Amino acid sequence: MKKIIITLLFFIFSVQNANSLIKVDITRGNLDPLPIAVSPLHVDEKSEDLKGLKEKKLGEEISKIIERNFKSTGLFNPLKKDAFVQKPDIAHIKPRFEDWRLIKAQALVTGKILVKDKKLKVEFRLWDLTAAKEMVALSFTTTPTNWRRVAHIISDKIYERLTGETGYFDTRIIYVSETGPKDQRIKKLAIMDQDGNGTKYLTLGNELVLTPRFNPTNQLVTYMSYFKNMPRVYLLDIETGIQEVVGNFPGMTFAPRFSPDGKKVIMSFAKDGNSDIYSMDIETRKVERITEHSSIDTSPSYSPDGKYIAFNSDRSGLQQIYVMRSDGTQVKRITFGKGLYGTPVWSPRGDLIAFTKVRKGRFYIGVMRSDGTGERLLTENYYQEAPSWSPNGRVLIFYRETKSDSKGKGFSAKLWSIDITGYNERMIKTETDASDPSWSSLLSK
Amino acid sequence: MSRGLLFSILFHAFVISMTVLTLPFMLRDPVDLPPIVSVEFIQITDKTNIPFAPKAREILEKVKKEDKRVVSEQAPPADKAKEKPDRIPMPEDKKEIKKIVKKKQNPEEIKPQIRQASEFEKKELFDPDQIAALIDKAKEEQAETQKKSNKLTQSSVKDSFARGLSLSEEDALRAQIFGCWSVPLGLPYDEKLLVRIKLKLKQDGTILKSEILDHERMNTPGQSFYRVLAESALRAVRICQPLKVPPTGYERWKDLQLNFDPTEMLKG
Amino acid sequence: MKFNSALRNFVLVLFSTLLISACSMTKKASVDTVDDVYTGTDTVEYLAKGVPDRVFFATNKSKLTTRSRDTLRKQATWLRKNKDVTVTLEGHADERGTREYNLALGERRANAAKDYLMTYGVSGKRITVISYGKEKPVNPASTPLAWSQNRRSVTVKTN
Repeated sequence: MKKIIITLLFFIFSVQNANSLIKVDITRGNLDPLPIAVSPLHVDEKSEDLKGLKEKKLGEEISKIIERNFKSTGLFNPLKKDAFVQKPDIAHIKPRFEDWRLIKAQALVTGKILVKDKKLKVEFRLWDLTAAKEMVALSFTTTPTNWRRVAHIISDKIYERLTGETGYFDTRIIYVSETGPKDQRIKKLAIMDQDGNGTKYLTLGNELVLTPRFNPTNQLVTYMSYFKNMPRVYLLDIETGIQEVVGNFPGMTFAPRFSPDGKKVIMSFAKDGNSDIYSMDIETRKVERITEHSSIDTSPSYSPDGKYIAFNSDRSGLQQIYVMRSDGTQVKRITFGKGLYGTPVWSPRGDLIAFTKVRKGRFYIGVMRSDGTGERLLTENYYQEAPSWSPNGRVLIFYRETKSDSKGKGFSAKLWSIDITGYNERMIKTETDASDPSWSSLLSK
Repeated sequence: MSRGLLFSILFHAFVISMTVLTLPFMLRDPVDLPPIVSVEFIQITDKTNIPFAPKAREILEKVKKEDKRVVSEQAPPADKAKEKPDRIPMPEDKKEIKKIVKKKQNPEEIKPQIRQASEFEKKELFDPDQIAALIDKAKEEQAETQKKSNKLTQSSVKDSFARGLSLSEEDALRAQIFGCWSVPLGLPYDEKLLVRIKLKLKQDGTILKSEILDHERMNTPGQSFYRVLAESALRAVRICQPLKVPPTGYERWKDLQLNFDPTEMLKG
Repeated sequence: MKFNSALRNFVLVLFSTLLISACSMTKKASVDTVDDVYTGTDTVEYLAKGVPDRVFFATNKSKLTTRSRDTLRKQATWLRKNKDVTVTLEGHADERGTREYNLALGERRANAAKDYLMTYGVSGKRITVISYGKEKPVNPASTPLAWSQNRRSVTVKTN
């Protein structure tokens, strides 16, 4: 009897204790960017002098690139350097956390640079100021001329640690540079770092070039050119500059992309008023016909696993988006909303398809799931189209054109980017007007 | 051509003169919109506190058990149902509760209870006059303890035993943490995003110890967003120190569990 | 007081009437589309006397109108007379669509014209087709009129 009573009492007590733990639900916070301090990297005095490389300034330059990268995401708020409390060399070894917290920073980036034996060695650390401990510590060795890429790689590592996603800073963007009057545009292929630096022109502008794309290793580019007044798809090797036409098609080929394994080029071929999607194996030169329909089929886009292709077709009477297996079977329409849909691009994550939508004279950039549900329009404009995904599937780059007057004046084309949440819409600076942007994959893999 | 012009002029003149005649009437003052008053809707459930405190119940049952021990097996089960004090007993009232509980029983119940009372109380209960006097005393003591409970901070008017924090105390704490928590934006929409943090607090609201429940999830591959989310929650809690805790009653809120869930924010 | 306001209204009315009536005195060239297809003569050049070099289309369409067929018949007649002439049909689209689709649409329009010429006895060997999509507008403005003028298939002599 006693035992029963005691166990009952014990049970009652323990139940009561469990109830005494108060649980509070926190379901809201703020979407403010994380305040982060990027200290200039400390340049080791033992560093050698290299021609053309201002090593003394490198530490500051690298930190500036990292800051600009962070600011461009809309997720981080790099703090102003004049408020910084510790010198770069000391901060890198032992930061005084309370002092840094005073300027309201929650994270701190410090680093060290050494130039030795004609090599550049960079070390960096990411500190969690509220927990007062180190979060990431890495070092890189590379040729000194690659110092910009080091800054981008550091940015990627920090971004990944703080957001849980891979970064997109060590990437390039290929686009069409435009100059001249609207009815006589000069177009050239241009390539630049994702932050707008290092623009290089790959063609001379003697003929129109359109819609370039990188291959998965970022060494080849496919695009459409009106060389010799014959609109065809070409391949261009970035390093050698050698161009060659893709296949031997008796008519216009256009809208080219690479398959995810980089082995094939997929494109549209127009003949006798009908455009269908074809692919060609780069090595074997074998051509395969994928769609066979009297409608216009264009703008194909592979899913990242290579099993499906999303494309644009007007077989229903107006431009809509369809998905089919990569052998051309099981074609399914996925857009049913009012308006026209075009330029489908499959996200590198495989979860979403970005597109252009035209309705009542307005142009929209949007995303939807690969079955067509969950359509979300991110931005509206007089004219914008052709979104392209960042390698982590979070940011879209596209281009916008403005109206022009009766003489064609006032016309401009610019690159823009937006986060898939609809936040952080911003213009990307280019040396000239620009259109048809395409994002590379991460250069360091 | 000129004919068309003539007709055009005449038609336009007609239309315009019609509008002119009505113009003065069309002048209206702009409507003054009432100033916007921001209202925040707080979810108030029907009951923010349980009618009677578990502690009290425990004491009652303890008392019953003691009675059982001393006396025969004829403990009336109906006792349990009737034992609902209509006011909140405080810890200081432990002793009084025992007494009061016994005396507050229904007159009908008293008799069997009297029979089962312990030897040394038998004499007291048998005396009807004493019983009457005792019942009155119960009322007095009731009033006293009620006064005492009112003396405590306003916010614990709602039962503080049942939940540890009253509604407004909880709101103050939540609002404070809302301000400190920077929600990472890169979180996937359709994953389970709940992070539970257990805290041991000091009297001044600073953190003695923090622990992430489900911490195995921190290192699961493919769930790196969980670690990011958990870290953001920890940062929020650390930055927010000292937390807005009630000035008294340390025992009841020194162990706190915060459930961070950004799903609502991300979906909205 | 009342008289002044009435006078002011009257002057206002008179002025606006004159303004509106002035509009009716401009030439009737502004609205030159029928069913969204340009029917005017601006931008039209001539292969020969009375033979217009181009036909126009409605938005997103490649169908030939009666007027277009009429023009193409004239072109066919002229081509049958001048047997050595070879031509390129250039298909174009307006700027209000996505770039890649517009390339395909231009090709479809030029082919519609080519097919019609062939039914009127012009050998397909004499005709090549090229599409410029929206890359070469004839009118750079951003107005519905400009767009209607840009939706065209132009027959160009190649020799």
